[in-house]
Amino acid sequence: MSLDLGFWTLQALNALQLSMLLFLLSIGLTVIFGLMHFVNLAHGALYALGAYFAASAAAVGGYWAGFFLAPVAVAGVGVLLYSGLIQRMRKSGPMAQVLVTFGLIFALLDITRIVWGDLALGLEVPDLLAGRVALLGVEYPAYRLFIIALGLAIFGALAFVLSRTQIGAMIRAGVDNDAMAACLGINVERLFFIVFCVGCALAGLAGAVAAPLLSVTPDMGLQILIPTLIVIVIGGLGSLKGAIAGSLIFGFVQTFGAVLAPQLASVLIYALLAAVLVIRPVGLFPAKG
Amino acid sequence: MFRHTPLRYGALVLLASAALFQAFTAEYFGLEILTEIVILAMLVIALDMVAGFGGMVSLCHGALLGVGAYGYAILSTKLGLTPVVAMAGAVAITGAVAWVIGAICARSHGIYFIMATLAFGQMGYSYVFEAPLFGGDDGLGGIARLDLSLIGLDLNDGRSFALFSLGVLAAIYGVAVLILRSGLGRSLSGVMHNEQRMRALGLTVWRVKADVFGLSGLISGLAGVMAAQHVMFVSPGLLSWTVSGEALVVVILGGLGTLVGPLLGAAVFVLLKHEVGALTSYWHLVVGILLIAVVMSRANGIFGWIEARFGARIERRAADAVRDIDPREVKTDA
Repeated sequence: MSLDLGFWTLQALNALQLSMLLFLLSIGLTVIFGLMHFVNLAHGALYALGAYFAASAAAVGGYWAGFFLAPVAVAGVGVLLYSGLIQRMRKSGPMAQVLVTFGLIFALLDITRIVWGDLALGLEVPDLLAGRVALLGVEYPAYRLFIIALGLAIFGALAFVLSRTQIGAMIRAGVDNDAMAACLGINVERLFFIVFCVGCALAGLAGAVAAPLLSVTPDMGLQILIPTLIVIVIGGLGSLKGAIAGSLIFGFVQTFGAVLAPQLASVLIYALLAAVLVIRPVGLFPAKG
Repeated sequence: MFRHTPLRYGALVLLASAALFQAFTAEYFGLEILTEIVILAMLVIALDMVAGFGGMVSLCHGALLGVGAYGYAILSTKLGLTPVVAMAGAVAITGAVAWVIGAICARSHGIYFIMATLAFGQMGYSYVFEAPLFGGDDGLGGIARLDLSLIGLDLNDGRSFALFSLGVLAAIYGVAVLILRSGLGRSLSGVMHNEQRMRALGLTVWRVKADVFGLSGLISGLAGVMAAQHVMFVSPGLLSWTVSGEALVVVILGGLGTLVGPLLGAAVFVLLKHEVGALTSYWHLVVGILLIAVVMSRANGIFGWIEARFGARIERRAADAVRDIDPREVKTDA
């Protein structure tokens, strides 16, 4: 094993890139849960849909068409899901919600297979980001740096919206105590709808940016679901801080675990999750104290 | 607490006679499907015990099944133990693993419990997937079935194995009913309905949960051993969380907390899988839509719906007949 600085920089960048991808997925899921206690297991399926939309649009109009279209299209699917199913499931217990969204995973998985077929689709990295960039003494693919930058930009934007704007204050109030927020004249239901759509759009965006790195297959949603759930449970449900902390913990444990202890790498993250659940059953930074 | 209503007895008799009829008349393919149903039924009984009577919705029962299957495979092929000893060992290991998981997760509720059990299940899955001892992605083959030639049964014959599995399932059902009727089972129902009150009554809540989870693990382990003997091969796919998810789907389709319903659900699920699977490769779509429809209809699965529709009438008629003789059952507000 090489122990020079460049090697570790490279691993740290890899970890950061994985973290940012997970952050894009988990932030939508965690705020949806925090605001409305709704468990959307189908979030991973929306990510897969985003990747497929991006691949289809890219085949026609190039990478950037897919990049901008996928979030919009997935948000559209989110609107359909919301009005068809989720609105009616709001008052049910977590068990019924888990099951309905589990059924949705099955259904969406086969729908993607029917529409796009079983074969993996590929997506080219755009010319603008195709090269490598010298950074801190290592050569790193520009596209992966773009993902890191995008994740940080979205984190910054969300942090600004949540802490400095009126709608952010309303969302925080809703997460903290939805009944009281409703009494103060906030339309919590409409707020939830907006957050749900933004969450879906971010899932679609994550799918679009992940598509050139991984091949686009029907089960990519299932593969990303478990890491996303681990992130939000470690981080604590409902908070931006929890989502970013959970993503970073997951990314770094996964990447450095694979380097330092390859036999234990896959078990390590689950052991960490179990430890967090035992010591702090509500996660590290829950939205509610 | 679990109670046999006349409707439940009727359903059991119907299911048992259908299974026996199938076991004696079916050809090779029919017997394979029957055995698949029976093994899935064992797993869903274990899951219904914890989810339907203890409110512990577990997403690690697939992994527990895998622990039983791999335990049997390792003990019998690598360590060369006789099948009976390997079976007992594998079941005991699974029970112990389940007890530990139950004890650790006992403090979590709702979605956190689901996530915690999912984490443990995935932990087992990734460990088995990576460890060279377990054959990794390739799985392990060459697993022997139990040798029952002493009593004149050759389990390598499909019909004998199907009948043997049915016998095991019947025993498991009986044990599950006994557990749920025992003091432990009653405490568990109490914990599900009002944990605070049970704690105030002096019950060690986590012990009750862990004990029932461990017992449920024993049953899952036995289901895993039977699955390993059935296909004579184990692969990491057995531990995957989708197996646990499917088991949960079966419990919900059949009727949570009815114990008879999940048996019906297992039969419906496997038959549906093969019938729809023969027509189209998109059978997940059908199952997904069916699952959404069942949950949205707010009925407690197929059997729950039947009970709500006809159960009360049959029960009233039966109660009229025995009221003077047997006033044993006392209804409480719990």
